[in-house]
Amino acid sequence: MMNTVETRVPVTVLTGFLGSGKTTLLNRILTENHGKKIAVIENEFGEVGIDNDLVIGAEEEIFEMNNGCICCTVRGDLIRILGHLMKRRDKFDYIMIETTGMADPGPVAQTFYVDDDMQQKLRLDAIVTVVDAKHIWEHIDDSDEAKEQVAFADVILLNKIDLVAPEDLDKLEARIKSMNSMAKIYRTRDAVVEMDKILNVGGFNLDRAMEVDPKFMEPEYPFEWSGTYELAAGTYEWVMGAGPDPVMGMAVLPLANSGMAAQEAALMDAVLTFAEEEQAVQAGAAMHMGKGRHHQLVLNKDGETIFKITLEQPGFYQLFTEHHPDEFDAHLCSTDAVLDPLQTREYKPDHEHDEEVTSVGITLPGDLHLEKLNGWLSQLLRVHGQDIFRMKGVLSVRGWNERFVFQGVHMLFDGRPDRPWGSELRHNKMIFIGRNLDRTALEGGFRACLVS
Amino acid sequence: MSRIMMQRKDKPKPQQPPLKTLWRAAIDDHPIGLAWSPDGNLLAVAGVSGPITLHDGANGAVRHSLAGHTLDTMAISWHKDSRVIASVGQDGRVRLWDVVAGTQIAEMAGGAGWVERVAFSPASDWLVSAAGRKLRLWKSTGELICEYPDANSTITDIKWRSDGKQFAISAYNGVVLYDPTKSEPLRRFEWQGSTLTLEWSPDGSYIATGDQDSTVHFWITDTGQDLQMWGYATKVLELAWSFNNRYLATGGGTQVVVWDCSGKGPANTKPIMLEGHQSLIKHLKFQHSGNVLASGGNDGMLGIWRVEKKKSTLLTSAVFKDPIAGIAWSPDDRCIAVVDEIGTVSVAQL
Repeated sequence: MMNTVETRVPVTVLTGFLGSGKTTLLNRILTENHGKKIAVIENEFGEVGIDNDLVIGAEEEIFEMNNGCICCTVRGDLIRILGHLMKRRDKFDYIMIETTGMADPGPVAQTFYVDDDMQQKLRLDAIVTVVDAKHIWEHIDDSDEAKEQVAFADVILLNKIDLVAPEDLDKLEARIKSMNSMAKIYRTRDAVVEMDKILNVGGFNLDRAMEVDPKFMEPEYPFEWSGTYELAAGTYEWVMGAGPDPVMGMAVLPLANSGMAAQEAALMDAVLTFAEEEQAVQAGAAMHMGKGRHHQLVLNKDGETIFKITLEQPGFYQLFTEHHPDEFDAHLCSTDAVLDPLQTREYKPDHEHDEEVTSVGITLPGDLHLEKLNGWLSQLLRVHGQDIFRMKGVLSVRGWNERFVFQGVHMLFDGRPDRPWGSELRHNKMIFIGRNLDRTALEGGFRACLVS
Repeated sequence: MSRIMMQRKDKPKPQQPPLKTLWRAAIDDHPIGLAWSPDGNLLAVAGVSGPITLHDGANGAVRHSLAGHTLDTMAISWHKDSRVIASVGQDGRVRLWDVVAGTQIAEMAGGAGWVERVAFSPASDWLVSAAGRKLRLWKSTGELICEYPDANSTITDIKWRSDGKQFAISAYNGVVLYDPTKSEPLRRFEWQGSTLTLEWSPDGSYIATGDQDSTVHFWITDTGQDLQMWGYATKVLELAWSFNNRYLATGGGTQVVVWDCSGKGPANTKPIMLEGHQSLIKHLKFQHSGNVLASGGNDGMLGIWRVEKKKSTLLTSAVFKDPIAGIAWSPDDRCIAVVDEIGTVSVAQL
């Protein structure tokens, strides 16, 4: 839907479990001096006016549009209520929809795509999810609703951070990012957050479709860390303390030089090496340098474990480790000193495949064949539409000078040409958030749409 | 099943006789209700912010401005004797007004926060209101006669059969029929879909519904046999039957789709398509005793059409600055009242 002048009223959907701080946030929004007149739709009956604002009760009525497909479920109550509200819309600048703690945000988001009146007059701005940083662990593993609320979000507030240790917060944030790499995450106490972080954020705006943390657009690797060293010929020691695992995978690869191209080549070699069957290396034994040598270092139960690396040629070497060395307090030593790497790099680990809800980001160079892309997407959504919650993309389509941007909720999506590529390098970025996503299949399918 | 063939042709507009405006007025509000009193003397216009204005049907003079509802008014309905009008609103109330004195006669609780629908029987002293799932039957004095068991989901419409002996409600999952003398529903026409509005054919032999999933559903009330029409561009909220039960005009897009229900009915037939609107049609009304149809759209156009099987024609049209918010034929069919979204009220003669 193209609108030259945006006159549509923005809508924010607020989700979160009971007790997460959702109501605190809502009250904050209503009392904050932001100069907006806000209508709030929440799940209780009755209508309450608060100064300029209005709180309206809704009985959550979800129904299916096309005989049984959950991808087409919408909220009938919202269509009715918003329809009435729009008749007096000169009185409101903003609409908030508060869902119950157990609500699936899908039908709410879809409601804005299936109804013409809604599309013409309202603009879904963002889904904001409030997470109780202390108690989310009780839900996140077994509650579909908690996962969906995280997966659908454009903005996530990690609330009640004062009740949680910083390292647990880091863990939680990493976990949430693995589920939804698209969302902006803010840490809050008593749901205190600047209003422009949650209102008018443009989460469903195609122009801002791909402001995604670049690290999370990268492919996943079977290792978490690499360090580049310049080393003379000789014997070195890789020293490790006790860590979270009794074993760790590692490879040592030569680099032609310290340049980017050489590192990219080594990275590919490392991926291939980690795909090889691992060979156990006991304490005190030596690792073998080179491609195909996938070591599994076996650590002593207590204290330090030392492994040897012998190099015949001086030069640049890159060490790839399955886990971050910091987790084991690991380091490379020469006979008399601890060696610092010239350069290190961290990789997004792929050992989170047991996570049911994940994000898959794919970046590919080249131009796409529009018909192939259409065919693939429609097949993909027909089969997996129920499991794909959100989708965003910026695509380079053959024959088009403009970037093609799109975003979708389940099977419903919205796409159009955007600004010209200009001097920017043409490429394709796509992100899927959903349940049981198969990265390999998605990447393969996407790649097959490239013009060969 | 009948499939609509959607085609668009740009035809040159023939010369049209202009509509003769009898009077104009303005309410400073978005109108949500427009209704002539059954005797044709008054035209009631309800604004979304509450007040209900009663205009003299002949010249537009304001006879009374009823306070309406403290929060938005949602619907109005005239008593058959033209002396009482009922209104419902977001204050949870059903209100009855004496239109001669301009005062409130009664105020009743609708049963939920928003009372969305109200309908006086066209033939008796009964009034039905709907608030969420609550359905209540009242006397025109405000006395509660019956509270029915809750509907399965929010009631989206209430319509009386023209003889006043039955009424029907629509909600998610179809239509339920009631006999006002019985406390239990009479019959259900079930359909898994979100039914938004319903319309009885004047003889009561059919009930048509408009649905959120861009379809029109259709029941033969005697047999319960049903039929679905699909291929609409969007949800269908606009339904109108012709007085002789022959034509069912439907919206759900930029074209008026008219089904001929004579003979074997509309199954497997091609509907009559009336083209001329530039954006979604929002209102359709047939004359009370003629085959002239009025349509109002988001493009601000009021279209007046003669509907015939062989050759339907656009008799005349008028364009308003804002989207049409309501149309109503006067009881004698000689005038048509139109309101647009900024509250312009016009009454014109054909």
